[in-house]
Amino acid sequence: MPDHVNNWINAYLDGELRGSRLAQVESHLDECAECRAELASLQALSGLLHEAPLPDFPSAKRFAANVVLGLPRKPETPLGRKALEVAWWLVPVALTAAWVFVQTTLLLSDWIGAAGRLGLLETPASAWLTPAAPQETLLSALLSQTGVLGGSGVQLLRSVSAFFDSTLVQIVWQVSIGLLYLAWIASWWARLSRRGYGQPLAAGSRPQVK
Amino acid sequence: MAAPPSTLHETELVILAQRGDRNAFGELAQRHARGVLGVAYRLCGESQLAEDAAQETFLRAWLNLSSFHPQTSLRNWLYRIAVNAVTDMLRKDRRLAPEDVTEMDLTDPHPGPESRVTRDERSALVTRAVLSLPEASRAVLVLKEYEGLSYQEIANLLDIPLGTVMSRLNYARKRLKEILQPQLSVYAEVENA
Repeated sequence: MPDHVNNWINAYLDGELRGSRLAQVESHLDECAECRAELASLQALSGLLHEAPLPDFPSAKRFAANVVLGLPRKPETPLGRKALEVAWWLVPVALTAAWVFVQTTLLLSDWIGAAGRLGLLETPASAWLTPAAPQETLLSALLSQTGVLGGSGVQLLRSVSAFFDSTLVQIVWQVSIGLLYLAWIASWWARLSRRGYGQPLAAGSRPQVK
Repeated sequence: MAAPPSTLHETELVILAQRGDRNAFGELAQRHARGVLGVAYRLCGESQLAEDAAQETFLRAWLNLSSFHPQTSLRNWLYRIAVNAVTDMLRKDRRLAPEDVTEMDLTDPHPGPESRVTRDERSALVTRAVLSLPEASRAVLVLKEYEGLSYQEIANLLDIPLGTVMSRLNYARKRLKEILQPQLSVYAEVENA
């Protein structure tokens, strides 16, 4: 007696077998009463399952009318959705480009400043490129003239002012771009988790009835 | 003059609905209402909940219609949404969960060798037995047994391998045969009489 074909009887019943596998199962069923009984019991189960009727639902026409009544605004067109998708994926590219632009501008600004201080930029056309010498702020001038601050105090105030003018601006730019990038990644995760029409069923996602 | 939606092919209706034609979508909903309601009911066993889930299915379909490719099967796409809509509803409201089906619910009301449950009682037992299955196996069984989808269609629809479809179906049928053994004997007798 060849091996039973229990693993294939369901597929045979459902018409899912082809070729040599189908021939093998059919040939086995001709010889094996046990497998024929198994097949008969599965056929009986199928008949029994179909005995359970559906309840009286509203007619398809009425149901569809209710569906249409409950529909919200017009759905997005495929083109509009595609444009939104492209725009969405361009956000990180735009942020990276902004970061590169800011970095380049700041670097060039530093180089031009250094070149100016070394006297390398002496042509009239380049004068506007060279940062002017630190101006006295209104506050430092006032404090200096009224004698509240001495020479070293004014110098400290100028240094603080220069820090705010350059380094802090750089930090603010970079942190802003970094935060925007993180926000994009967070919303990307959020989109993934609530995408479309739900997640596929997970196997064994609830306990079996004992 | 535009042709009435009822005369149009499904692909044409889908394209019209994707452009925002509510009548075209209504026609699609009418054509697939029975199937979606049936899947929803077989999965949850409660007619009002099934109707709500079917409504939710078509609403989600309308909102996501632009992601649907008209050349693929709308019916299978709707069934996929329906399976997820029912699952979401059952998880949201645990009071409705079919796992509350107890051993007592599955017991023959007239046990013993003379058991002769009526056809209605037998149908109720069958419905409860299906609901007692784990939801993943139940979905595969419903789509195969009641909707006649192929294994490959079920695998695509539920995003699971073909082998998993087969194993879940084998498990579901094996378990149902155990639960419904007395009813199966009666059914076989009646059929052979």
